[in-house]
Amino acid sequence: MIDTLTERAEDIYYSVLEMKSPDARRSFLDRACGGDAVLRSMVEKLLASQSDAEKFFQEGGVARLPVGQLSQSVADTLGLAENVEAQAREDEAIGKIVGHYKLLQRIGEGGCGIVYMAEQEKPVRRRVALKIIKLGMDTKGVVARFEAERQALALMDHPNIARVLDAGATESGRPFFVMELVRGVKITEYCDQNELDTRQRLRLFILVCQAIQHAHQKGIIHRDIKPSNILVTIIDGQPVPKVIDFGIAKAIEGRLTDNTIFTAYEQFIGTPAYMSPEQAVMSGVDVDTRSDIYSLGVLLYELLAGRPPFETRELMESGIDGLRRTLQEREPQRPSAMVTTMQGSALTLLARSRHADPLKLISLLRGDLDWIVIRALEKDRARRYETANGLAMDVQRFLDNEPVVARPPSRYYRLQKLVRRNKVTFIAGAIVALAMIGGLGMATWFWHQEREERKRAVVAEHMAMAAEQQQARLRMEAEDGEFIAKAAFLISQNRIIEADDLAGKVSATKPSLEAESVLRTLGKWHALNGHWTQAAMRFGLLLHADQMDDSWAITDDLLMAGPILIERGDMQGYEQFRRAAIAHYTGTTDPIFGERTLKISLLSPADAQMMKSLEPLSEVAASSLEKPGSNPVMESWRCISLGIMAYRQGNHPAARTWCQKCLSYSEYNPVRIATAHIIQAMACYRLGEVEKAISELEAGRKPVESEFARGLEEGNGSAGFWYDWLFARILLREAEALIEKSPSVEK
Amino acid sequence: MSDITLVLEAINRGESQASEKLLPLVYNELRNLASARMLHESAGHTLQPTALVHEAWLRLAGDGKQNWKGRAYFFAAAAEAMRRILVEHARRKTRLKHGGGQQRLNVEDLQLAETPPDEKILLVEDALEQLERSNPERARVVVMKFFAGMTNKEVADMLDIGERSVDRHWVCAKAWLFQKLQDAQ
Repeated sequence: MIDTLTERAEDIYYSVLEMKSPDARRSFLDRACGGDAVLRSMVEKLLASQSDAEKFFQEGGVARLPVGQLSQSVADTLGLAENVEAQAREDEAIGKIVGHYKLLQRIGEGGCGIVYMAEQEKPVRRRVALKIIKLGMDTKGVVARFEAERQALALMDHPNIARVLDAGATESGRPFFVMELVRGVKITEYCDQNELDTRQRLRLFILVCQAIQHAHQKGIIHRDIKPSNILVTIIDGQPVPKVIDFGIAKAIEGRLTDNTIFTAYEQFIGTPAYMSPEQAVMSGVDVDTRSDIYSLGVLLYELLAGRPPFETRELMESGIDGLRRTLQEREPQRPSAMVTTMQGSALTLLARSRHADPLKLISLLRGDLDWIVIRALEKDRARRYETANGLAMDVQRFLDNEPVVARPPSRYYRLQKLVRRNKVTFIAGAIVALAMIGGLGMATWFWHQEREERKRAVVAEHMAMAAEQQQARLRMEAEDGEFIAKAAFLISQNRIIEADDLAGKVSATKPSLEAESVLRTLGKWHALNGHWTQAAMRFGLLLHADQMDDSWAITDDLLMAGPILIERGDMQGYEQFRRAAIAHYTGTTDPIFGERTLKISLLSPADAQMMKSLEPLSEVAASSLEKPGSNPVMESWRCISLGIMAYRQGNHPAARTWCQKCLSYSEYNPVRIATAHIIQAMACYRLGEVEKAISELEAGRKPVESEFARGLEEGNGSAGFWYDWLFARILLREAEALIEKSPSVEK
Repeated sequence: MSDITLVLEAINRGESQASEKLLPLVYNELRNLASARMLHESAGHTLQPTALVHEAWLRLAGDGKQNWKGRAYFFAAAAEAMRRILVEHARRKTRLKHGGGQQRLNVEDLQLAETPPDEKILLVEDALEQLERSNPERARVVVMKFFAGMTNKEVADMLDIGERSVDRHWVCAKAWLFQKLQDAQ
């Protein structure tokens, strides 16, 4: 524990720091420490280390770390077996011999490996690129897979393909690959730096397609086509693209079948932005040449529009499942549309790097180029270009102003896509459609089925009467389900009024989450617009539907429903409602349920029997306040519940104490504070403190009146929810009636 | 809506259990962000850990639904997450440097203020564990200031104490921790 001496020393230290001049400090120290030598030496010691301490704890925390290291630590701490040691060792690798190769210089680093320039001694002396795979992999498997494809790789001979020469294992047991050394920059960079216009870019792209076509003919799929794997070098003054890393993705893909999320995440071979939908599924086996076509489509997209259809960052944000979903379901924006949505300055920059003005660029992309790209990017690979050559030829046709093969999709085809994008909405939509087309809706058909079953059961029990009632109920439920499904669909389209018309036909819905959400949305909507009768009806059905949900959602709904009944003037309904709520929560040990039940039930005075039944709930709520470490926001609201409880019990001093406690919390919440003032006003009045009562009432009234004058909004946890404001207003009316209409107060 | 947003809303509603759910979600958020960055930037590019936390927050708060309360809770959780991440990182790095064993740091010949960041983190962590026992509130201030770079206002909101108390805690903690480190020599 901190002793008082230390505490005094710290007080003095803290004050001294605020004084600038040494004289002022000294005289303050003399005065503050008096003759206490021990105290003085403690303070002096703190002061002595002050500037070093400041330096040590630079404001803002820890020093900067390389992104790679930081990312890796985040990953590591989360249990990923990443290999920091190996990386650190590799940095010192220059000059070492790996296999027959001497590492000369580090020339690059990618997602999965570090690339060195190296020198080969035998059989010929030449410079090569040597890539050491960074991730911990089963090296034997990698090398074996590479060996298996080595024959095929050796058959590749194309000016736009960098040859893969060798593979092996480093001393530390990691796989490496040796390739023809290509000195160049990645294709996207080359194009931008040299401000290639769209036609020049397309010509370069055609060369890339032809290289890929060559590989495909030899039976080799690249699997990792992306800008950093296509380097442009200048030969005889002409830009020549070179595709690198052939065969590597295949060799290291063994781990792809490992389907724990984390390893999958780390083992992504392709950059997510360039990954085909079928690769994203990671079934591993079923990837063919058409996956490369997709990646070529992404490359073309980026060359034209300056960014891939889905950014890696965007894809990673939603986690692995979101990534798969996006790649498999979300249709990419057409390049021309993508460019159109760009910000002014970005668009200008994009156009400039393509030697065009923005509007010309957009109109150049619109139409044929859009369709070519979209065709290459089809989710269903059967709809893509069948070969890289096919894609290249279509681009060539465009350059030659001939009609392209890719066409805008037909209407039927677009409908299909729409269905794929919005499966859920479409199921709801389909139900609506079927119901309309068939006359007898889906739901009615289900009812039919269920009735048949029931009938058999009922007949067996000879209960014809009951069966009839049962039938009527089933039919009603089926119809209600149908209304709800349609309403949900309409709400999703933001067609609230139409949805509400439908929901108005619902008589007694079966418990379901869908029904809940529909009725809650509509109930709230009515309440915010002051339609109390409709709001009460929706909430009435909602509470019936709530049986599917957990207690949390139910108390939320109850908190909303109580004030609505009172605002509607349905005191009898409120009476039944609160009895049901109390019965439901009696026996709970959760302070939150206790507190909420008080709040739900005490909007108006209650009889002695009801007050008695609320006592245990009140105790549960109060007991939690004695425990340390609970949340102040929650506690402050709990005081409100306990305050109104005490007031209704006639324990006015206690009510006032709770309100004061509530007002002592520093969390600002206008509605909570107003409510505390209002309850306190009533308590003070009962205690005979009329003046105080009037001033408290005023303090509570102002915020409530201005909130409603502004128009009630849904609100939030810190500004107050709409039903909190209703709660406050109901109590305000009670307080006004009590205080201002009494003879002792002159208005 | 993200899970974090939901949890923050639950906290705002005053649901006590909600804050426990926050930490794992924050970890997840930081991980996604860090991985995305790893793919985008070269490994040598430096980044302040606190910047990562702030970036994560900006993305969450982008929808404008979060208030200061959510912010405070988020930052407190992020501070704990960052602490663990950075301490783990530093442990691994120093273990490597000292040849594998769980060696104690040698602080003798070091000018403390010039300690490399990794070792600094470990030294602070050691002293912090002591502080957690003797003065838990102050320890929390240190975690939020040192590991997450929160402002005094943010810490004050989080701990529900005045800004001046936060400042006093932090000023005194720095001197106190530094002395502990010196004494350890």
